[in-house]
Order: sequence, then structure tokens, then C-alpha cells
Amino acid sequence: MAAKRIERTASVVMTAFSAAYLIGAYLMIPVPMIKQQIGPSVFPKAVGFLMLLFSLCNLVIQFKGIAKEDEARAVIIGAEDKVETKADLKLMGVIIALMVVYALLFNTLGYALTTILVFLAGVLVLDRKHILRDVIIGLIASFGMYFIFTKLLKVTLPSGPLSLIGF
Amino acid sequence: MDIMHNLVTGFTVAGTPFNLLLAFIGVFLGTVIGVLPGIGPMTGVALLIPITFGMPPTSAIILMAGIYYGAMYGGSTTSILVNTPGESSSVVTCLDGHEMAKAGRAGPALAAAAIGSFIAGTFATIMLMAFGPVLAKVALRFGPPEFFALMVMGLTVVTSLAGRSMLKALFATLLGLAIAMIGIDLQSAVQRFTFGNPQLMDGIEFLVVAIGLFALTEVFINISEMKNAKEVSTEKIQGGLWLTKEDWKRFWPSCTRGTLSGFFVGGVAGAGAAVASFVSYGIEKRFSKHKDQLGKGAIEGVTGPESANNAAAGGSLIYLLCLGIPGSGTTAIMLGALIMLGLQPGPLLFSTQPEFVWGLIASMYIGNVMLLVLNLPLVGMWVKLLKVPEYLLTLFIILFSFLGVYTMNNSIQDLMLMVLFGVIGYGMKRADIPASPVILGMVLGKQMEEKFRQSMVISDGSLSIFFTRPIAVVLLTLAFISITNPYWKPFGAWLKGLFAKPSPEAA
Repeated sequence: MAAKRIERTASVVMTAFSAAYLIGAYLMIPVPMIKQQIGPSVFPKAVGFLMLLFSLCNLVIQFKGIAKEDEARAVIIGAEDKVETKADLKLMGVIIALMVVYALLFNTLGYALTTILVFLAGVLVLDRKHILRDVIIGLIASFGMYFIFTKLLKVTLPSGPLSLIGF
Repeated sequence: MDIMHNLVTGFTVAGTPFNLLLAFIGVFLGTVIGVLPGIGPMTGVALLIPITFGMPPTSAIILMAGIYYGAMYGGSTTSILVNTPGESSSVVTCLDGHEMAKAGRAGPALAAAAIGSFIAGTFATIMLMAFGPVLAKVALRFGPPEFFALMVMGLTVVTSLAGRSMLKALFATLLGLAIAMIGIDLQSAVQRFTFGNPQLMDGIEFLVVAIGLFALTEVFINISEMKNAKEVSTEKIQGGLWLTKEDWKRFWPSCTRGTLSGFFVGGVAGAGAAVASFVSYGIEKRFSKHKDQLGKGAIEGVTGPESANNAAAGGSLIYLLCLGIPGSGTTAIMLGALIMLGLQPGPLLFSTQPEFVWGLIASMYIGNVMLLVLNLPLVGMWVKLLKVPEYLLTLFIILFSFLGVYTMNNSIQDLMLMVLFGVIGYGMKRADIPASPVILGMVLGKQMEEKFRQSMVISDGSLSIFFTRPIAVVLLTLAFISITNPYWKPFGAWLKGLFAKPSPEAA
């Protein structure tokens, strides 16, 4: 029962997070110099308490196995579909790593260069059947977006080493 | 006439070439987003917000409203032709729309959806024009306790309609509030949950969370599902696009019912477009003259829900503009964007920024006409969009996410946080915790706390202020009803069981 395990894990994580937040609200928010009717820690404490209350209820329901699901209602309110496919953790890890690299190189290599590199790496990881077409798409997208944003919309993007050749 | 004068103002604002172009770009991009199955309206609006940086607020909202509207339209096209709804509000349209397409009547189905949407959208705009200023005037008399109660109600209504489990939805809303608390508290200058990180002192930008939770989560889901993706088969459009005389006869009643019920659901009850479309389908099933054909390709099953979801979308804009309360996830993102642009939606907007409000209203008329023109003749082009390979789409979502979040503050830390929220969002999706309440909580959190504190100052620290002012009481009662109503039936049964004598049969 993978679904059940996910539900239970989630309920534990939710409870732990709520508890941590509540403790943080008590310990980490200093008392201000000026006395106020409602200090800065009151609202976070209230939020923390309610969050803990609801996640504890959820925890009990999940572990007692009395969680009910009203599919008819879910359809009516347009609830999003559940994700049932097994996560491809390896591929996800690669993509997350790619994102982190993207963020880290953003300033050093500049927008256009980092983007084309990440795009091509992404193509290699996901589907390498149409390399030539995708290289062209990547070049147009990265340099095109750089020009649209910096020249037309006047948004600053890092230019990186390309600034040496007048970018 | 006041309204006429205002409308003229509005059309002067919306009619400038730049704003007309933006309205066009908005509805165009919106339709693209609506058609592409991986990207819903929320992801779309969040991803495209960065384009509006540097624009005047009026132009920005014209663009965003166009995207919002366009996404509603686009979603129906794929429902009818491919049987894959572009987003949740066009799920019902599949039932009869795709049946019609299979029977070779795709043209009339598309036309009915587009014309119905157009009529409903126009109706909602007229209502906004007529009742918006009135509602704003009433809300001007609200004090902090009323606003606090209003926000509580806004949150609970959306929460009660998000996802399968009320507990999880409540948790998500509170999580949003919790994130909103991060940063320096403006009233006491005390740092909260910043962990000494200077960049966290301003709090976490809502766009970082929104793009992480929606766009990047979408990326993770796409790459997990890529391997078992199936070929889509598209129904051809045969014959004429236009409705026959018989179609028209059946079109009007269902369009009227859909528009009115949709507007009621979205504009009065505060629920979203998806609910509106289902309510409308239910109404058709009961009152339509051809109810026996519903589900087998009846035009009423397309017209009703499609009118309803557009009327509801327009209706929820009334809430957003007059009260500053978003009625849905997408409007929550729009609210966040407006706040970023330095505008505070709420009752004051009508009197302080008339050119903004009326410019938006005028652009909604214009946008609706554009959509009608854009959608019917170009339908073949939209369907081709479905042929874009999924991995390229996924990569482009990544590129746009990074571009958007970076241009906000030029901060690498924001990018990292976004990736983190993407991972969290994927976890939430797996655990079936809805993400849109998080955004809503985040957007309203700071204000809610402020109004709460102001109320407490007024009442000298007594909570009774929320129970002695009539408007606040009504709003809080509605809030209570909206989150507790699923439990009434079981609770009633339990009570009954408690008092009932044990019957011999039961024993």
C-alpha cells in the first residue's frame, strides 16, 4: 500500500513542521522594546497552534485508517488529480541538480550562456533524438529571451563573460 | 450618467495602442496556456508576471486579465477536440463536447463554447461595472474587524473547496500564513523566522513560492510521467463551424442558465470556475428540455458549463477589485502581483484609481471580442500546439521560472528557495495537499495580521469586538459554516444515534 505509506509519512511531516513552527514562535521571536497590545509573536503562535491541531487530527485519521475520500465531491470542486505514477527519483535528482547548477552559474556565466547550457543538458537527459533541432531552439530561446528582456523590457540580466564582446 | 462617463475614461485608457497590444498578447498567451495540458492558468499567470515588471499597473492588469480569460477559453478547445481538459474548469465540457466532436459536430461545439463564454464574460463585466462601485462603497465603511472577518471568510471559502481533505486544505492555508510571517514585523521591527539571513528580512516573495509550487512541481510531475506518455488523438473538425437554427434554439436557454448560475457561484458565493461549471451541468441535467441527450453530445452540456466558468471568472474579479479578497488561486496570484506593483486592491481602488479600474473593465470587453475572433478561425493552430514535445515544454517551464524569479530581486537565494518550494510542492502533490490555499494564505497573511492587531487596539485587547459588530459576525458565521458543513451530516447522524432507542432490528 504505497498510497497509505505516503499519507502516513506526510501526516508525520506535517505534524513535525507544525510543532517546530510553534516552538519557533515561542523561542525565536524576541520581545519588542515598545510594549504593544498584540506583540509580534501572537499571530505566529495562533497560526502554529491551529496548524498543529489540524495536522494532529490528520495524523490520527491516517494512522487509524478512518480517512474517507469523497471522490464525487472531489470531482465537483475540481480537485486536482492525484499523482499515481511512481516517481522517477533518479531523473528527478538529475533535474534538481541541473536547477541548482543553473542557479549557481547564473551570475558568473551570465544569463544567455547558462541558459543554453542548461537547456542542452536538459535535452541530453530527457530526449536526445532531435539534437540539431533542439540546439537551434535553445540558441534562439536563450539569446532571444536575453535580448527581449534586456533591450525591450529594460530588465537587467547578468551578461557574464559575453559582456567582453559587447553584449 | 456616471457609468457612461467612467466607461469613456476606461476605453480611453484601454484603447491606447500599447494597451490594446497588451490585451491581445494577454488573450493570445492565455489561450496557449489553456490549450497546453501541462500548464494551468495559475502556473501561466505566475510565470508571466515578470513580463509586467516595469509596466504601469493598468497595463499590467490588462495583460494578466487577458491571460486569465484566454486560459478559460483555451481549456475548452482541448476538451472538445482531444478529450483532455486544459484545466479543471473545462472537465465537464469533455462529456458532451467530445461526444459532439466524435459525431462530426466539433465545429458547432467549439462555436457554442466560444459564443457562450463571450456572452457570459460580457455579462460578468457589466455586473462588475454596475455593482462594483456599490460594493466598494459599502466596504468603505468597513473597519479593521470587518476586514479581518472578511479575510477569514475569503480564506475559509477557498479552503473548503480545495482538495479532497478539509484538514489538509486547512493545513495548507495555515502554511501560507506561516510563510507570510517570515521577515521583519513592521509594527515592532522585530525579526521573525529570519535565522539571521539578511535576505529573509523582507520576507519570502510570494512569486518565489507560487512559481516553485506550481511551475516547478509541474516539471517534476511531467518528467515522472514522460515515459508512459500516450499519443493524443485529435478529432477532425468536419463540416461547418457555425451553429444551425436548431442549435441556436437550444443554445440560448442553456447559455442564460449557465451565465446566471456561474455568476452567482463566482461572484456571490465566492467559489471558483470549476465549481461553477459543475453546478451548471447539474442544472442542465434537471431543467434542460433535452436532458436525456446530455452526456451523448448535447449542445447544452457545452454551452452551460462554458458560460458558467467564464461568468464565475468574471465574478471573482469583483471580489478581487472591490474587496481585495481573491476568490480563487489564480486571482490570489493576480492580487499578489498587484501588491508587488504597488497597488492595494480594495474598496479604495474605485475612488483613488478610477482609470485603473475602468481601464481594466474596458479591456475586459475588448479582450472578450478579441478572444472570439482569435478562437474560432484559428482553432486548427491551437490544436497543433498539442504536438509540442513534452520535454521541450518542460524545459521551457524551467527557463521561464528562473527568468521570472531572478528578475524580481536579482537574487540567487530566491532561485534556490524556488527550487526548494518546487520539491516541497511535488511532495505536497504526492500527499494530495492542495497548493493554492498556500498562495492565498501568503498573499493575505500580512494584512490579516495587521487588521487583527488594529482591531485589538480598538477593543483594548478584547476578542469580543469580532462578536459584537454585526457585519463581522455574519462574515465569521459564514466562514464557520463553509468549513464545517461537510461534517454536519455525520455529526447529525451521530447525535441521532445517541438519542435513538436501540431498535430490535439493529441489534
